[in-house]
Amino acid sequence: MSPSTDLNGTPQERDALAGEYVLGLVEGADRTALEQRIEREPALAASVESWRGHLAAIDATARPIPPSPGLWPRIEAEIAAILPAAERGRLKALKAGNTLADWWNSLFIWRGAALAGALAAILLAIGLNGALDRARRQPLMVAVLLTDTNVAAAVVNTFADGRVEMVPLQNIAVPEGKALEIWTLWDRAVGPRSVGLIDRARTTPLRLDQLPLGKDQLFEITIENATGSPTGRPTGPIVAKGTTSQAL
Amino acid sequence: MAGGALTQKAGEIEAALLACAAGDKSALRRIYDAESARMIGVAQRLLKRRALAEEAVQDAFVLIWRHAARFDPQRGAGLTWIYAILRNRSLSILRDEKRTETSDAPVSEEAASEEDDPETVMSKLSDAKALHACLETLPPQRRGLVLLAFVQGLTHGEIAGRLKLPIGTVKSSIRRSLMSLKECLG
Repeated sequence: MSPSTDLNGTPQERDALAGEYVLGLVEGADRTALEQRIEREPALAASVESWRGHLAAIDATARPIPPSPGLWPRIEAEIAAILPAAERGRLKALKAGNTLADWWNSLFIWRGAALAGALAAILLAIGLNGALDRARRQPLMVAVLLTDTNVAAAVVNTFADGRVEMVPLQNIAVPEGKALEIWTLWDRAVGPRSVGLIDRARTTPLRLDQLPLGKDQLFEITIENATGSPTGRPTGPIVAKGTTSQAL
Repeated sequence: MAGGALTQKAGEIEAALLACAAGDKSALRRIYDAESARMIGVAQRLLKRRALAEEAVQDAFVLIWRHAARFDPQRGAGLTWIYAILRNRSLSILRDEKRTETSDAPVSEEAASEEDDPETVMSKLSDAKALHACLETLPPQRRGLVLLAFVQGLTHGEIAGRLKLPIGTVKSSIRRSLMSLKECLG
């Protein structure tokens, strides 16, 4: 525990404390408390900013290291799921945040329960695909999307050349003025991303572009407005969902 | 870095941050093109490992994007805001690593590059900077403590361990150095 953090003392002490903070020497609960003080006390905030400005000269001596090629795509994939600040304010009014997150999290519990059904359906899906065009269309990964009654409603196939497609296995009722939106989720912290919107159940390519694609990645179909979900997140009832597995 | 170029660059960063707040992803990319290599360099000094440094920079850019609307040009420069985010994130990773890592040696015990030694950093610091002149007024050992904390992210305890000094001595020495520096920097 640094004795410095509860000093409201002289300007010199305040500046030393601000300096310690910028050096990274104030830790844990002291740091949190100090950050709250910085928010409230303009003189302290100005001192912190002054230290940062001066010490920036040291950061400028760091040897530049070129980023690896994958870094920007990873950043892009992460921010793709974040709405711009301007829209976020508007969405808060819709009060969608927490309930939506809870709802999405509950999918992961559901996922385990459906595993047995999914395994059987994966074998079925691989058989179907093989029959279509064995030579050219060997998928790398397959996700079988199951309804809540464990009926296989669609398959998502991913191919070595980066193509991803969704193939419906049964007709899906779409109400008037609505559409089917397809989502993927690779990281709960990032949240679901829309990868396709179709007016009725038909085979469709999915736009994953720069998004990550791996094993156990969730795909899901929801009923949304004809123009897509108004929030950029799933809002309507879930038609089917499932996770990717390596094709045999 | 020349003062003029820095000022111009800083203005561009601030304009890009305002554009990020409005949802312009190409503005984030401009910041990335201008700063990512230096940012990885700064993060690597703190975290030693390249993969962790890139992780810190990745997180920093996501935070920059997420919080761009909070950047207030009245309160400080865009470039210092960005590096403050990067340093905070790097230090969190550094302290977390120390808590959770069991098999590998903690990052803080990994050898820092000689480039990151206090006196090497000192020699790279532009003579033109007020900071350089003011650090010169401190005895080398005392300025070394300040530089070890800032450049390598060492805690009071780690500095004490490394230099075989009592922790109280390290704390009071850094505190006195900061007061002298502040007086010198004005």
